[in-house]
Amino acid sequence: MDRIQLAATDRSPQVDFDFASGHLSLRGESYPEDAAAFFGPLLQALRAHLADQSGAPIVFEVGLAYFNSSSAKALMNLFMPLEDAAEEGRSVTVRWHFVDGDETIEEAGEDFAADFSHARFEMVREPVA
Amino acid sequence: MSAEATPSAPAQAALGQDARPHARGGSLRGAGPRRSSDFLEVAGFVDVPTGEPGTMRPGALRGAARGRDLDSLAHTLFLRIYPVIAVVVLVTQIGIAWVNYRDQLHLYSERADLMASLAARAIARPDWSASPEIYRRQVEALSLDPAFRSVTLRDAAGTVLMSFGDQKPGRGFERITAQADIPAEPGAAAQGRLNLAISAEGLRGNAEKQALLAVVTSLILMLAFVLTLHANVRRHVLFPLKRLLLAMREVEHKRWVPVQLDGAFRASNEIDVISQAFNRMVDGLRSGDEAKQLLQQLEQAHHKLEDANRLVMESIGYARRIQSSVLPDRTALEGTGLDVAVLWEPLHLVGGDYFWLEEIDGLGILVVADCTGHGVPGAFLTLIVATALDRLLHERSLRDPAAILEALDGMVRTQLRQDGRGAESDDGLDCGICVWDRARGEMRFAGAGTALTIIDGAAVTRIRGARRGLGYPQRPGERVAVEETLLTVAPGMSFYLMTDGITDQMGGTGPARRLLGHRGVTDILAGDQAAPLAEQVARLDAALTAYRAGEARRDDMTLLAFRPRRDTVPDAA
Repeated sequence: MDRIQLAATDRSPQVDFDFASGHLSLRGESYPEDAAAFFGPLLQALRAHLADQSGAPIVFEVGLAYFNSSSAKALMNLFMPLEDAAEEGRSVTVRWHFVDGDETIEEAGEDFAADFSHARFEMVREPVA
Repeated sequence: MSAEATPSAPAQAALGQDARPHARGGSLRGAGPRRSSDFLEVAGFVDVPTGEPGTMRPGALRGAARGRDLDSLAHTLFLRIYPVIAVVVLVTQIGIAWVNYRDQLHLYSERADLMASLAARAIARPDWSASPEIYRRQVEALSLDPAFRSVTLRDAAGTVLMSFGDQKPGRGFERITAQADIPAEPGAAAQGRLNLAISAEGLRGNAEKQALLAVVTSLILMLAFVLTLHANVRRHVLFPLKRLLLAMREVEHKRWVPVQLDGAFRASNEIDVISQAFNRMVDGLRSGDEAKQLLQQLEQAHHKLEDANRLVMESIGYARRIQSSVLPDRTALEGTGLDVAVLWEPLHLVGGDYFWLEEIDGLGILVVADCTGHGVPGAFLTLIVATALDRLLHERSLRDPAAILEALDGMVRTQLRQDGRGAESDDGLDCGICVWDRARGEMRFAGAGTALTIIDGAAVTRIRGARRGLGYPQRPGERVAVEETLLTVAPGMSFYLMTDGITDQMGGTGPARRLLGHRGVTDILAGDQAAPLAEQVARLDAALTAYRAGEARRDDMTLLAFRPRRDTVPDAA
């Protein structure tokens, strides 16, 4: 799979899906006008990558300061195939970044964490500085 | 060559050139008196008569821009300068020749005088006339001069004593005569007179040669002048002018071509200076023209956008009236002993946030729903929810908040065809429902993605309900599982149902930039518990605006604040 790199805009996060190294990341804020259009290609690429059975470990870094409910839904759609892949034995780690004191994002991470039973879901507390 | 009509040769040529367009204009309109603009018209400089101000009529400069007129300019120059130069050169040369001739003539006369007086003095002896033959040899010596013609010797009485040479009189200018008195004692009368004539023919031949030379010289000079002038005028005047005229013709057709000076610009050359000024003018015209066009396009685009925006805004304004009319009367729960305050503010006039207040069978039903999306799509979903809720409350008479949520989930999914048939819709809603039973002093709450916040004095409780929202295509067999919470209401308790648009306020700067969050909101509310709900809600709204500090809102906002009136709830004590 080709690497997907998108610069952040004021309504969409910075995307870096480096499939070759198994390192995916989303950073910034996410409330695109059409979340399906924004996340659709990412989900397709992720599915395609997971389908090629290389079995290489995947680390997915998510650091969002804000995301709307459509983006939350899209995130869930990204997480589901990862959890499935983990269930089939692949090493999958989701690292959920939140700024210390940002309860909204921390709570959202905890909610997502509850959906995972095979993949590792790490809460990464970042200092305010 | 028409250029003899010199002063306005280019204009006249333009006239000839433009006879056709002119016929299209003035002459067809009849033989009225010429207006002041007619001259310009004749000369080919005509304003465009139709509605395109600021544009030259194509071809207006066409005649003038043709090389022919420049040729006539050159001929004009030649014909005006050539005769003057020719006359000046000729007159000068002839003058010089004349002065030369006069000088020579003078020298010849002096020579004749000298010869005559030398001979006269040689003869001057008393009584020389008695035997003049003695002096014949001396007199004959005069004939040694190649120009000698004749000599006559007379005595005091005027009698010719001796004479030889060609005496026949010729034309004056062919011979030069001199006479000398034969001197006697000082104070006495002359003893006789000697007349000498020498030929001026050599002089005349000389003068003729000079005159011929003058004519030939002036002809050569003239030829050199003509060739030099022609070459220089062509190079330094005609070529740059032609270049300038061609550029003007281009500009006339709005092709902004500057004159190519090829780096040969000389500040001392007026045409170069004019060309440069022309280039600056072209630059100015071009940028002006471009700016004008851009501005026009911009204005058009702006008008279109304005129109489109007005249409959309009118349409959405209408939609807002419809959505607002679907919302309940804020005082619907007066009879249930609840104070209610509402903050409902869609992000874009209409939105996906919805709330419902209704008293049924003595129960107060309070619903807050946050459908996916905002704006018009969100508003569509709220109508589905409103319809479904109405049916659940009135047709199926559900009063149990968890049961209502579960049924709502099913209805929304059916409505949006999300039940596993290749659903196109990935939409749903977060929803929280409170059912207030005044008689029992009980509040029952169930939530799916929406929490209930209770503030009792300084204590803040948050009941989160199910994490998942309602709707959305779900995996086969997946069912929404909602738990119900039963609360016994004590005096002073305030309840808040809010959508995440209330808590998701982005504010702060730098590293401190983050969402206000639930705690931020409840801190504000908890600090204001003494106030009536309506004031509380208004102050919260202001506090949210202040927190955002100019940052745009991200979502629709809905807050239902409610608390039982003091007289409704018996003191727990």
